[in-house]
Amino acid sequence: MAGGVPTWEEVARDHGRFLYNVAYRLAGNDSDAQDLVQEALLRVRKGLERYQPGSLEGWLARIVTNVFLDEVRRRRRRPADALPDDPDWVLPPSPPADEVQTGLSDDVQAAINSLPNEFRTAVVLCDIADRPYEEIAEALGVPVGTVRSRIHRGRRLLRRALVNTGESA
Amino acid sequence: MNERPAPDDRLSAYLDGELDLAERQAVESYLAESAEWRVELEEVAWARDALRSLPVREAPPGFWDAALAPQLTEARARRARRVPRIAGLGAAAAAVAAVVTAALVVPSPDRVTPKVPAVADAHAVRASVSDDPVSRLATLSVVTPPRR
Repeated sequence: MAGGVPTWEEVARDHGRFLYNVAYRLAGNDSDAQDLVQEALLRVRKGLERYQPGSLEGWLARIVTNVFLDEVRRRRRRPADALPDDPDWVLPPSPPADEVQTGLSDDVQAAINSLPNEFRTAVVLCDIADRPYEEIAEALGVPVGTVRSRIHRGRRLLRRALVNTGESA
Repeated sequence: MNERPAPDDRLSAYLDGELDLAERQAVESYLAESAEWRVELEEVAWARDALRSLPVREAPPGFWDAALAPQLTEARARRARRVPRIAGLGAAAAAVAAVVTAALVVPSPDRVTPKVPAVADAHAVRASVSDDPVSRLATLSVVTPPRR
C-alpha cells in the first residue's frame, strides 16, 4: 500500500469478505450479490485514484449500495428483469433445500428482503456494514434526520415481519 | 408540565449512540417514566440484535478466483508487454553507447591527417642513401633540416 491508498488487489483480498456480506444482505441472494460485487469492484478500481485515505469500508459500503440502487432502478426501467410479483425486487428466489442455512438467519434475511429499499439500505449500512449515521447520510444523499427515521422504521418493520413469520410457521 | 411525545426514532439513535447529550437525557427521562417507550426500545433493540447477529455471508467457492482472474490475466499481460519494451530500451541504449564510443575512440579526421613534414623527413633520409632520383626531388619540398 503506497501512501495509504491500497491497490485494487489489496482491496479485494482484505475487504472482499466485507463487500460480499453487505452485497448479499442488500440483494438477498448469492447470484445478485455476485453481480453487485463484480460491478462494485470495477467501480473501486476506477475510483482508487480519487480515493482519499480514510474509512475504506465506509467507501466500499457506499459503492456497493450505489451499485445496488442503480440495479434496482435499472430493473424498474426493464420490468422483464424484475421478479414477477415484486416490482421492488425484494424477494429472492427460494434457495434449494440443501443451501438453506439456519432457519433464523434465513428468516432475518427474508425480513430484510421484505423491507422497502430506502429502509433496507439504511438498516444494512447501519447494522451490517456498521457505518455511522453521518456516513450513511452521505452514502444515500439524504439528511442525517432522514437516516435516523429510516433506520428506526426499518427495524420496526423488520421486527414485525419476523413476528409474522413466527406466527405463520 | 410538558407532554410526553410518543416513542420515536430517537430510540434507535439512542441505541446506536447517535444522540447528543440533551436528546439522550430526554430519551432516558421518557424511558424512566413510560412503559410505552420501554416497550418500543425493547422491540427495536431486538430487531437490531437480530440484524447484528447475522453470520457473515461468504461468497460461494471459486467466486473470488473468478472475480480476480481477469485482473490477474491483465497483470500478466502488462508484464509481458513490459519485456519487449525493456528490450527495446536496451537496444536504444546500446545504439547510443555505440555512437558515444565511436565519437570518443574512432580517430577524428584531424588525428589521421598524415604528419607531412615528418614523413617527408623520413623519406628524405631514405632518399639520401638510396640515390633515388624521384626521392631526391622530394627533398626540395622539405623545409625542415635533415636529421643527423
